[in-house]
Amino acid sequence: MLINKKEIILKINSIIFSSLDIRDVYETMSRELLKVIDFDRLTVTLITENNNLYETFVLSKDYEHTALQEGVLYPMEGSLMKRVVQFREPVIVEDTSLGRFQTDKVLYAEGIRSRFGYPLSYKGRVTGSVNFGSKRKDYYTKKHISFFSMIAPQLAMAIENTRLFNKTREAEKKYRSIIENSPDIIFEYTKDGTFPLISPSVERITGYSVEYFYNHKNCGTSLCHPDDRERVQNEVLCVLDGHVDSLMDLECRVIHKQGHIKWLSIEVLPLKEEGKIIGIEGFCRDITERKRLDELKNNLIRDVTHELKTPTAKIEMAIDMFERALSSGNKSLLEKGSQIPEILRNNLYRLKNATKNILDISRLESGIEPLKLTDISIHDIIKHIAGEKKESAGKKKIALIEQLPPDVPPIKADSDKIKHLVNHLIDNAIKFTDEGKITLAVKILPQAVEITVEDTGRGLDKDAQECVFEKFYKENPSAEGSGIGLAICKHIVQMHKGKIWVESEGRGKGSRFKFTLPIAEERKEQGTNQVIRLKAEG
Amino acid sequence: MMKELLIIEDDLEMQGFYKDMLRGEPFTVTVASNAEEGIKKAKEKQFNLVILDILMEGMTGDRIFALLRKDARYKAVPIIMASALDEKSYRCFQALGNVSFLEKPFNKERLLGEIAKRFETTK
Ligand SMILES: Nc1ncnc2c1ncn2[C@@H]1O[C@H](COP(=O)(O)OP(=O)(O)O)[C@@H](O)[C@H]1O
Repeated sequence: MLINKKEIILKINSIIFSSLDIRDVYETMSRELLKVIDFDRLTVTLITENNNLYETFVLSKDYEHTALQEGVLYPMEGSLMKRVVQFREPVIVEDTSLGRFQTDKVLYAEGIRSRFGYPLSYKGRVTGSVNFGSKRKDYYTKKHISFFSMIAPQLAMAIENTRLFNKTREAEKKYRSIIENSPDIIFEYTKDGTFPLISPSVERITGYSVEYFYNHKNCGTSLCHPDDRERVQNEVLCVLDGHVDSLMDLECRVIHKQGHIKWLSIEVLPLKEEGKIIGIEGFCRDITERKRLDELKNNLIRDVTHELKTPTAKIEMAIDMFERALSSGNKSLLEKGSQIPEILRNNLYRLKNATKNILDISRLESGIEPLKLTDISIHDIIKHIAGEKKESAGKKKIALIEQLPPDVPPIKADSDKIKHLVNHLIDNAIKFTDEGKITLAVKILPQAVEITVEDTGRGLDKDAQECVFEKFYKENPSAEGSGIGLAICKHIVQMHKGKIWVESEGRGKGSRFKFTLPIAEERKEQGTNQVIRLKAEG
Repeated sequence: MMKELLIIEDDLEMQGFYKDMLRGEPFTVTVASNAEEGIKKAKEKQFNLVILDILMEGMTGDRIFALLRKDARYKAVPIIMASALDEKSYRCFQALGNVSFLEKPFNKERLLGEIAKRFETTK
């Protein structure tokens, strides 16, 4: 019998370490245990870290009925657990009907008449207990306890290992999913020029696959833009040598597989092994778009400054001219018909116009101005504006022709904004046409109306066609105008969910500016005079 | 002999300011209203100094500059670049040789001073 017991203990101990799945361990262990200790119920409970709750960690599945549930936390207070933990020794309950512990009542109700709990301790701390229950009263004795004491330490260790293992596995799973899904490149790079780790986003950003990075030594350096290489290497060296603890926002360019440039911002920390720096780790963010916008912004600022400074400069120079004329007695500049007032007026106008346009476009772009939507008649608006423009077109001997169908359906739109739009397109047509005609046409499409302003003027080549709607674009940089007008037009059209574009057969061949506005659907809800805030798309 | 000045500037009002400021000074002033005209005039006659507006229709100042410098007769001729923006806005010009920068607005003294300085240093 003793031999048999020893064998079983050995067997159980080897089972305990055979698997990291505690359920496996539990199942096989309880089967073996049953050969030496009779029980009707076996549970393993674990104490939470702050010691006031415990959790039923495993529970054999084949109990007919129990109030206990795996994974649920129970209070320590009044339980057998508490005593086991407190005294760090096994506790036997001979008769649950006496209700020594609060849990006894539950167990009694479920038919368990006697039980014993054995502490599991690991590294000097009680981590939980193993609990045997029997339907027989007075069943457990010191004999059982002394037998179980030969298994308990290994079991405690195994449970702790599983717990730790599960924790790390979970953390690892999380970590892996972070790496795999990160939009940034997460990497480890060692001194020998290899990448032990690099996340898949590297392919999206650089065009090179993860495998490429794993297989090509020093590819980090070779992908770096030649102009940035030395700077980056020096900075990284500072981390490798331990001169600095980290690098933040190290900006550099890399060359994409397809040959274009990508901007990265890199954060770097030293990668250590046993306290020694063996490389770096960190992440790279793709900031190409941000860089592009920065440059765009800088160009915009330059263009706006130029547009505002030119008239200001000329006003100043005109005043200087006037004063010199005064002091030198240069009559011609002071007499009637002198160019000075003309220059002043022109440039003040230009300045006023530029400021107004800049204000308009920033108001539109910020989206603070809601559209005032009403039912408008495109037909009437065009007719009205054409009437106003007859004079200035006539001055240049340009004919203004209207091709308006009588039955243009109403459009839900902001009347002032549409007027501004049509007005500007006709103004431009007059401005850039020296002879011929300007045709205003409206076409009714199934979902929208299409408005065309066609001129026989100087036209636009392909490049210019692409740029005209951009802010501050002027084909001729010294030409009058801020180059914002068409950007405003585009904004207005987009706010109305329409489209605007230009067609031209080329330079000198006239242009057709066209835009569409969706036809007002029969609205389900009533009320036409609503103020709706529509955000421009695109 | 009077110094020959070529001013390439497409803004008519600016042309007026130049003419007014240089009136009565010991220079012969020729004005070209665009890049092509400027290059053409520079070929017809040897000028001693060129004042060049940077932003013009058709061709930017740096291209005209490069074209002028290609011509053997203009290799060493002083060039003044004029613009309403300051020099810092045109990083590329810092790399060009024998050129100075004139920011608009300028007055008569500043213009004459700049011209004198260019003649001084290129002598
Ligand atoms: N009808 C047209 N024909 C030819 N070029 C045009 C026409 N309309 C606009 N453009 C070109 O587009 C540029 C930008 O126009 P726009 O945005 O309306 O500027 P602005 O606000 O100064 O009037 C103009 O400087 C011109 O080069």
